[in-house]
Amino acid sequence: MKIGILYSTSGPYGAMGRDAHAGAEFAFHDYRARGGSLIEPVFFDPRADLSAYLEGARSLIRDHGCRHIVGTITSSARKEVIPLVEKHDGLLWYMCPYEGFEANENVIYIGGCPNQHLIPLFDYLLPRHGVRPYLVGANYVWGWEMNRLARELIHNAGGTVLGERYLPLEETAVERIVADIAEKRPSFVLNNLVGPSSYAFLAAMRKLGERDPAFLPENCPVASCDLQECELGDIGEGAALGQLCAASYFDTLDTPDNRAFKARLAGWSGGERIVSSLFASAYTAVSLCIAAIEAAGSDAPERVRGEVLARAWPSLFGDMRVDAATNHAALPFLLGRINDRHGFDVIASAPALAADPYLTGAPTKRAPRLRVVS
Amino acid sequence: MTTRTPNFTGWRAVILSEEDGNTDRLRRQFGLLGISASLQWTPLAVADLPDLVLIDADRGWDELLPISDIAPACPVVALLGSEAPGRIAFALRHGAGAIIPKPVAASAVYPALVLAASVHAERVEARRRIAHLEERLKLRPIVFAAVARLAGERHVDEERAYAILRDCAMRRRMPIEQLAAFFLGGSETLREVG
Repeated sequence: MKIGILYSTSGPYGAMGRDAHAGAEFAFHDYRARGGSLIEPVFFDPRADLSAYLEGARSLIRDHGCRHIVGTITSSARKEVIPLVEKHDGLLWYMCPYEGFEANENVIYIGGCPNQHLIPLFDYLLPRHGVRPYLVGANYVWGWEMNRLARELIHNAGGTVLGERYLPLEETAVERIVADIAEKRPSFVLNNLVGPSSYAFLAAMRKLGERDPAFLPENCPVASCDLQECELGDIGEGAALGQLCAASYFDTLDTPDNRAFKARLAGWSGGERIVSSLFASAYTAVSLCIAAIEAAGSDAPERVRGEVLARAWPSLFGDMRVDAATNHAALPFLLGRINDRHGFDVIASAPALAADPYLTGAPTKRAPRLRVVS
Repeated sequence: MTTRTPNFTGWRAVILSEEDGNTDRLRRQFGLLGISASLQWTPLAVADLPDLVLIDADRGWDELLPISDIAPACPVVALLGSEAPGRIAFALRHGAGAIIPKPVAASAVYPALVLAASVHAERVEARRRIAHLEERLKLRPIVFAAVARLAGERHVDEERAYAILRDCAMRRRMPIEQLAAFFLGGSETLREVG
């Protein structure tokens, strides 16, 4: 039996793809270390070419007989692959935080949707920093939809969005946006930029903070929902220090499971390695897929899905339940602050939250007016 | 501009179709959206309209959905596999504001509901405005009659008479048509002007 692994290890989000790829490899290492031999990985690298995702998925399914594909980072790549997976009644295991508004029977969602990341992030930020944010984002559906929802949350809180700007995926000319932020003086910045744009933006915000302390992270933080430990090395030294990110896993998580995981990983990679939430999520998706195939005694997708939905699975995120209605995992919320060791210190957390991909639970309700308290 | 996240929680939908894989998928997506759905392949009772109707436009017949495009009472979504103009016309005739193609893809459901609900709301608003304007149009002869009488009584030209009526209507916060009717009926003397 084979599991297809579909990640781009180059291109604007290559650092994320390489980490996800490595997480999948390590899951197979763990599987073989405990004597597993029936299930094998097949890796395909679309090299950040959107049309190659479809070719890759087709090759994994048709040429290699994979009935499960773990992969894709961006929503556009996921949307490319889904129709083919549906047609062959396979399962796609998607493990990145995304903008929600999807719940496909042929997809298992291990990454969070906005009620698991953006909404709790705002619940934290608004009372502490105020309701006048500035929104920046990558110029595609992730940036657009996250900022749309942010706008709605701010409107409901009686606040004002001071600016909303977008950059193409690989654009690093952030000066005009940062100048606009310097002029408008928002209470915080929501950063939905991806990859190099995000790194350039964080570096420019650091410089702005050095000129004017009102823009230091403790006064006007830049908060993201997708920044990874594996990216911190690509950002200028110390440039992102003190900034915030929401996730369901951080390397620094102090649990027995995470300590044991990190020790095993150090043995495999020949030294200590910082684990990003993407590495942990890809590892979790592959491990869960393997465990469910073993439990089902078959890789038939409907039986594997049945096993996944039937119980809570031990994972790096704690006991993980996948909801039978939405196919989404319940996930804990962690808020990390970037430290000087290429990692995040957890400064706030909430226990596992069930996913609400279509926001039906009225989390966008009008909240009482909040005031700046700092 | 802030777009509100469309929310269908608590809506009741009727799917006018025979049960098949498509309706299974619709029911699943409706469950996720907080919509309770029932299925029937018999005409819908007009007395008990749901919040949303889906109709199999490939096989549906007129009596199945006894509401028309002139005044659909709730949002309508057509389920359509055929490309035949007659079936598309059927969907339009029964007020469909959106189409979900067959076989139903999970990702087609939510956008179609948002579209149909929005089209329906626009139609309701347009109908309300048209009815209001038609009503005012119907009352125009009364305004003309009032202008003519006022011009004769006060020895002013028609333009001045109209201005008097308009100012009084404004001061009394009522439509000019209503004021004109009161004036002609003798219960309004327009004392404060002229």
